[in-house]
Amino acid sequence: MELVLERWQQEVSIVTIGATKEEGGTRSYVVRVGGEKTLPFLFPEGEIPYPPVIAFEVWDIAPSDWSTELNKYYGDVFNDPLAWAEKCVKQYQAKILCIRLQGAHPDFGNKTSDEEAKLISQLLKKVSVPLIILGCGDDSKDNLILPACSQATKGERCLIGDAVQDNYKTLTASVLADGHNIIAESPIDVNIAKQLNILISDMGLPLERIVINPTIGALGYGLEYAYSIMERARLAALSGDKTVASPFICFVGQEAWRTKEAKVSGEQGLIWEVITATALIQAGADLLVMRHPVAIEKMNNYIKTLMGVSL
Amino acid sequence: MEKFKVTFYPDDKTVEIEKGKTILSAAISAGVYINSSCGGDGVCGRCKVILREGQVLTQPTGRISLEERKRGVYLACQTTVQSDLEVEIPAESRLGMEGLTAEELELRLKGLYSEAEEIEPTSSVLAEELFVHSPLASKLYLELPPPTLEDRISDLERLYRQIRHIQDIAIMQTGLVNIRRLGELLRSSNWKVTVTLGKRNGTTEIVLIEPGDTSKKNFGMCFDIGTTTICGQLVDLNSKKVLGTKATYNKQASFGSDVITRIIFAQEADGLEKLHHAVIDSMNQMIQELIQEHNIDLNDVNCILCAGNTTMVHLLLRVDPTYIRRQPYVPTANFVPTIRAAEVGIKINPRGLLSCVPGVSSYVGGDVVAGVLFCGLDKQEDLSILIDIGTNGEIVLGNKEFLISASASAGPAFEGSGVSCGMRASKGAIQKVGISPLDFKVSYNTIGQVRPRGICGSGYIDLIASMLGVGIIDKSGRIKLEKHKRIREGEGGKEFIVAFKEESDVSSDIVITEADIENLKRAKAAIYSAASTLLKHMNLDFSQIKKFFIAGGFGSYLEIKNAITIGLLPDLENFRFIFVGNSSLAGARSILLSYEAMKKANEIAKRITYFELSVEPTYMDEYMGALFFPHTDLSKFPSVSR
Repeated sequence: MELVLERWQQEVSIVTIGATKEEGGTRSYVVRVGGEKTLPFLFPEGEIPYPPVIAFEVWDIAPSDWSTELNKYYGDVFNDPLAWAEKCVKQYQAKILCIRLQGAHPDFGNKTSDEEAKLISQLLKKVSVPLIILGCGDDSKDNLILPACSQATKGERCLIGDAVQDNYKTLTASVLADGHNIIAESPIDVNIAKQLNILISDMGLPLERIVINPTIGALGYGLEYAYSIMERARLAALSGDKTVASPFICFVGQEAWRTKEAKVSGEQGLIWEVITATALIQAGADLLVMRHPVAIEKMNNYIKTLMGVSL
Repeated sequence: MEKFKVTFYPDDKTVEIEKGKTILSAAISAGVYINSSCGGDGVCGRCKVILREGQVLTQPTGRISLEERKRGVYLACQTTVQSDLEVEIPAESRLGMEGLTAEELELRLKGLYSEAEEIEPTSSVLAEELFVHSPLASKLYLELPPPTLEDRISDLERLYRQIRHIQDIAIMQTGLVNIRRLGELLRSSNWKVTVTLGKRNGTTEIVLIEPGDTSKKNFGMCFDIGTTTICGQLVDLNSKKVLGTKATYNKQASFGSDVITRIIFAQEADGLEKLHHAVIDSMNQMIQELIQEHNIDLNDVNCILCAGNTTMVHLLLRVDPTYIRRQPYVPTANFVPTIRAAEVGIKINPRGLLSCVPGVSSYVGGDVVAGVLFCGLDKQEDLSILIDIGTNGEIVLGNKEFLISASASAGPAFEGSGVSCGMRASKGAIQKVGISPLDFKVSYNTIGQVRPRGICGSGYIDLIASMLGVGIIDKSGRIKLEKHKRIREGEGGKEFIVAFKEESDVSSDIVITEADIENLKRAKAAIYSAASTLLKHMNLDFSQIKKFFIAGGFGSYLEIKNAITIGLLPDLENFRFIFVGNSSLAGARSILLSYEAMKKANEIAKRITYFELSVEPTYMDEYMGALFFPHTDLSKFPSVSR
């Protein structure tokens, strides 16, 4: 059977996370995402230079609402973010880490920007993988801690987020000054995703330094909706719309593990995380932030298989 | 029930009212106008009054600041009378139209209407030049041969015969009143009379018979009955000359600022009656003023032609508008037969006629039909579009082959309602704005060249375009400028001061808030996306449209370039846009002056199809995409994006 091939006009931009010594940082390698010239894994239509990458999620405080299933793997290091990060890298071969500074939230410990910046500096010494740094979700607090962490990691080309339409200026300015990349979050809405990219690039940050967080839902919790929004955005990107041609980051772990199914059984949680991630890489996800080491391993193997098709 | 006297200043009008009634209802009884966009719900904060003396009870409201409270400011609709009162109505709560000098009025009207006359005859077709002059009411001076034994036909037949000598008129009607007077009238006037012939639903009627030659005195009025503004024009039906134009606020505005709230109000006890009287009073007042200024006898005003949206026409005729807002949105009548003006309480010649421009549907009325007629949209060779930037943003797309309309509920932001310092395009309105990129100094121009009282639609368009240009706001409309004497934090988010109170004619700074920008953004998005959705529905796009007729009560000024910068209008060459001002009034005048135009309007109303946007699934998506300056899809605005 003959395959009808689509000819795309534009590729997704390539975002580089992490900087090696030669590039002015201290990471032992860099992670590149994006660059697709086709829809996911349709190799005959175009090149996919970089496979989707899975980041391990690490918190600055012991999470109170994580499943006991995850306790089995991280319980011993929950109270020590540095040890937690190191375990992910050494034991589970994490290629990239996603540090969520939940402890800065006024309701979760209210850590100061100095404390968080110090933690990030220590983390840079502890591990040499590229870093994703997330705020606590409280706008005014994030506007304090994220600039501090941005400064503390100057030159390391981290990925820092999230910028939202109501609060993007402070973070964009920091990221711009310190040479990082930014996560632009939109509420499952292609228009807002585009608008936020335009607003951020209007401030001088190149579109090639933006990663879109399209906001996702887990299987049965809005996955199809997220899927179709990502697909629409990606189709627009490949068809020539520069303003939406950014790689996607998807917070799969956080969504999969808050489902009722995951709360009922750890086994189900693991499957839920895998299925959600599997679906989303088909929608165009470039970076997936996940939790269960086994789920991550399964995904990495699956991605290898998918990418192998092209070889 | 205990009654108290309430005196309003500066009008110096006193009314007696029952204890416990609101100050607003006292004002209405006294015939004193106080702004009230929300119809007395206490939400709009427009009805601020200052209590000079007396006791009141008031509801707590966020619309009055602490400083205002100390000065004795109250919301008239939330404050009840508890003793004799002396109440002052500050300038910002007053209607801008009353008590103006003739010159001021002249200036105002110039601002409101000059543009319609300034259309290039080459680019637009002035309808009245194309239609045969045959006004709704015409006068014929007749010298009848007196009856003899050889020529013994009746007086009435004699009259008909003489008319037929001059005009070939097939059918005629004559009221019994005229017949009763006829015998005596013909003889006492020595068989020299003037008949007024009225065109009435395809037939011709002898409206009036007068002794002698009065054929030179034949006048008519055309009206644009808008939701917010009523405009009237006195026309010499013989010479086609416009003698005078007036505008007044639709007094129905005190019962709610949009058609839906008014339809709801009409269902209340006496609601329909009140709304009907509000519009009739405004019209009668305008007629009175115009005939006095031009030394014309009321009896020589023989016909009225009204264009208005469907709801306004229903209220004018005192027809219950209830079903307009109930599914499946069917009005009582789109084509209203010509009636006698007196039947609805309009004071002209007691036998004078009143006709309304036919409408298309519940949400596309005779004002749109009149606009189409005036622009000649119905006979364009090339694809053209009429966009009326009003509360109900009506759009008609087409040419001589088809006409399709859509209606976008844009909200009243461009008419200066629902925005903190908004006002209509009347005296004191900032209509033109520029901002210096160096120090953000604002230069502006007001209607009437007086101190500013607020900002009107064209001013807002300029303002937002300039704020974008110099980087005060970002493309989503948020104020990004910080730490500047013109930036401050208000209740509705950040505010930018356009005019400081020292330079204004009101007691506070004239500002634009982030909430205002959001409102205006929604309004422009509704209009742009309605037009683009309609085009998409027809498998067309903006670039295929040769002429854009832009209508609206924007005063004399609308900067097309800035309207494109904010994404209200599509990014196309300037020459394609033709600003026609109040096309509804102009169309009504054409019809008043030509029965041909009336027939054409009937045809247009039947030809226009209506496209319901709310059932079109892509409309919401188009709208969301348009909620950005100029648009989320920057490729649609290449001249605006860097």
